[in-house]
Amino acid sequence: MSTQATTVHQTKWWSGGKSPFNMEYGKLMMWYFLMSDAFTFGAFLISYGSIRFSQNFWPDPNVVFNAFPGAGHANLPLAFVSVMTFILIISSVTMVLAVHAGHKGDKQGVIKWMIWTIIGGLAFLGCQAWEWHHLITGEHAVLVDGKIEMIGQNMRGNPWGAVVNGPEVTAALTNTSHETLMSLMHSANASVSHEKIAAMSDAELRAALSTAELHVREKGPVAFGGYFYGITGFHGFHVFSGVIINIVMLIMTQKNVFQNKGHYLMIEKAGLYWHFVDLVWVFVFLCFYLI
Amino acid sequence: MDLWIVSMALFVVSSLLGGLNYISTILNLRTKGMSMTRLPLTIWAMFFTAVLGVLSFPVLLSGLILLLFDRNLGTSFYLSDIVVNGEILPNEGGSAILFQHLFWFLGHPEVYIILLPAMGMVSEILSVNSRKPIFGYMAMLGSLFAITILAFLVWAHHMFVTGLNPFLGSIFVLLTLLIAVPSAIKVFNWLTTLWRGNIRFTPATLFAIGFVSLFISGGLTGIFLGNSTIDIHLHDTMFVVAHFHIVMGVASFFGMFAGVYHWFPKMFGRYLNSTLGYIHFWVTMIGSYLIFWPMHYQGLAGIPRRYLDKRGWVSFNDFPELDKMITIVSIIVFAMQLMFVFNFIYSIFKGRKVTSTNPWGANTLEWTTPIRPGHGNWPGEIPEVHRWPYDYSKDGREFIPQTEPIGENESKH
Amino acid sequence: MEHPAFEEVSFHHHTDDAEFKRRVKKTTILLSVITIIELAIGLFIYTLHKSDVNRDFLILGFKGLVCILTLAKAYYIVSVFMHLGDEIRNMIMTIVVPLMLFIWFIFAFIYEGNSYKNLRNTYDLHFKETTMPKKHGNAETHEVKPAEKSGKE
Repeated sequence: MSTQATTVHQTKWWSGGKSPFNMEYGKLMMWYFLMSDAFTFGAFLISYGSIRFSQNFWPDPNVVFNAFPGAGHANLPLAFVSVMTFILIISSVTMVLAVHAGHKGDKQGVIKWMIWTIIGGLAFLGCQAWEWHHLITGEHAVLVDGKIEMIGQNMRGNPWGAVVNGPEVTAALTNTSHETLMSLMHSANASVSHEKIAAMSDAELRAALSTAELHVREKGPVAFGGYFYGITGFHGFHVFSGVIINIVMLIMTQKNVFQNKGHYLMIEKAGLYWHFVDLVWVFVFLCFYLI
Repeated sequence: MDLWIVSMALFVVSSLLGGLNYISTILNLRTKGMSMTRLPLTIWAMFFTAVLGVLSFPVLLSGLILLLFDRNLGTSFYLSDIVVNGEILPNEGGSAILFQHLFWFLGHPEVYIILLPAMGMVSEILSVNSRKPIFGYMAMLGSLFAITILAFLVWAHHMFVTGLNPFLGSIFVLLTLLIAVPSAIKVFNWLTTLWRGNIRFTPATLFAIGFVSLFISGGLTGIFLGNSTIDIHLHDTMFVVAHFHIVMGVASFFGMFAGVYHWFPKMFGRYLNSTLGYIHFWVTMIGSYLIFWPMHYQGLAGIPRRYLDKRGWVSFNDFPELDKMITIVSIIVFAMQLMFVFNFIYSIFKGRKVTSTNPWGANTLEWTTPIRPGHGNWPGEIPEVHRWPYDYSKDGREFIPQTEPIGENESKH
Repeated sequence: MEHPAFEEVSFHHHTDDAEFKRRVKKTTILLSVITIIELAIGLFIYTLHKSDVNRDFLILGFKGLVCILTLAKAYYIVSVFMHLGDEIRNMIMTIVVPLMLFIWFIFAFIYEGNSYKNLRNTYDLHFKETTMPKKHGNAETHEVKPAEKSGKE
């Protein structure tokens, strides 16, 4: 380290003929590209903030994101997203190790850690796909125009408005259709079998439901879904392209392209991109899941 | 419209790649001895232009992606309470002002993306052709930098009448008026560079001086419009049209023309025809003022822009003769540009041949390459730089190229 | 790689293998711990929302804390994983200084969004009636109240 320090002091960095940052051209470009991309994501998240502040009501993320694969209707707020976050952090660590192996010219090390990174990326994408699927298909009881409807979280509707309770729900139940009553009964009381629910009349259903604990909400801000799918989708797209880049890098490593060149700088650039994706996720995680 | 959005996205990508290339080349790949303060101002201007592009275009991209979603996927980022043909759209909760914010976050830096390269070229051309060092090189850099920073902070001054929060608007007024300071510094430096110079009135010089003139007259009206209270009256009138066409349209075209006339010998090894150049300059210069100056009066009188036919409104129909005059002059000026295109193409093949490598007696590196440079520009080694590019009329010598080592008894610049 | 692979690069960083591994391990643990703290705060906010007492100010404080923790995480990712901390100072500056633009960018947009809401609540009664959460006694309803600001998004 001491030799480095003296070199730093002796070099006139800006005098031309060499990089003022001691950095190779392509890596510098990658940095500034990421800078530019940070502004893209920044603009998305800031627009989201602007719209959120222009609403009187915004859903609590703990209520929205409370499902876990295989856990049925259990209320597990933030559990799944923390798994996703850890997957991404771990894949970032494996990428660091791959870059480090590249520094040492250790081909087998690069291959090993790149494979782990790719697996991490794919796992993250899988988790995101599950979460999207769950949000889009999972239907929730919402009070619309004096009656209860079952709607999912999509671009046009948001089921996460303020909670409606007491007399309003009872009043709304009288206007609610048979199908909705049945699915309400099913979700409120999972122990009752399908056949039994199907056999019940509307009046019976209403009587059973008005005593049960129903989670009926008003319609929430529509923009929530748009921004959630828009921004996590754009981030997911980055993860996807990062995985593709990593796969290309892996193949190139295996074909000795970098060994013949004498350096593994391409791995370093791919690594920068991959860490950036992780970095963006940190902020997406903050904006959508925590606050 | 969707196609337009996609094409804009492609444009963002291409300008991003170009900008990255400029930035990393200028920072990383300077030749030996070419420190940042020895760069010609043209290069500095291109550098800041690239910075502006790299940081502001992505925001437009985000805005456009959201717009694409609104149009095709039924999201409500920008739409709320919209009635089309008596039918209420289902979209709710969006904010149309948000799109304007995202758009103008690019839109304002974009103005400087257009203008800064012209400023850089004009600085270079004025210095070369008045045979004097550029006045206040460091001040020029500082003002370029200040303009770049301020360009990102003032976007909402285009939006004073959208329903923008007035408090926020007042901050934007303050920041907007701050831009006048670096702009004024640049103008003073150009004028003092010309002052008592041994000026060669080539077409390039004339266009550069024309640029300064237009930049002053267009910039001054910018101070009017930057005040939110005056802007309430002037917004969306012909005054705005006159302002930005002069300062951003005509002025940057003049910078571009100056650059083309100046570097044409470098590009094709032949000169552009000077006589046609002089005609081109004078007609365009006088014509631009004849077109845009009257528009200020129209705007102050309250005539709105973007009207095809004003005859239906008595109050907008005060100046029909003025409109006619503007139309005729703009046709003439446009014809003059066709003449320039002709001059350009003609001179590529039939122009007067360049006989020396450095026809303007300029210091910068591009004039040390052969008249017809091959791949890599210089045969053999890349030259080393020993001095700044503006050593004109120094120690009795008319010009000293950057590649010449500093002499023993040489005075400082 | 003893000689620089590119002529514009003056020297290469030489990092000790064990030292490097230790650093990566430390950062990973740090990031994990911060994430777990963030999750704990998130869950705590959830319980605050559920309780009947109005604790908007406390929630706001915790949200601010989460923002700061996130910035810390971002710092560690950029500085250690992306090795920006190992670059020379000028390089760090060219990355950090442009990011300062975000300060005004965020402030202006959020302020503007808030002002748009106040405008609509004043002049668009339909908007106010349909979106303003009603007070039911169940405290989960108060989510983002008009005057609330949670710093940066």
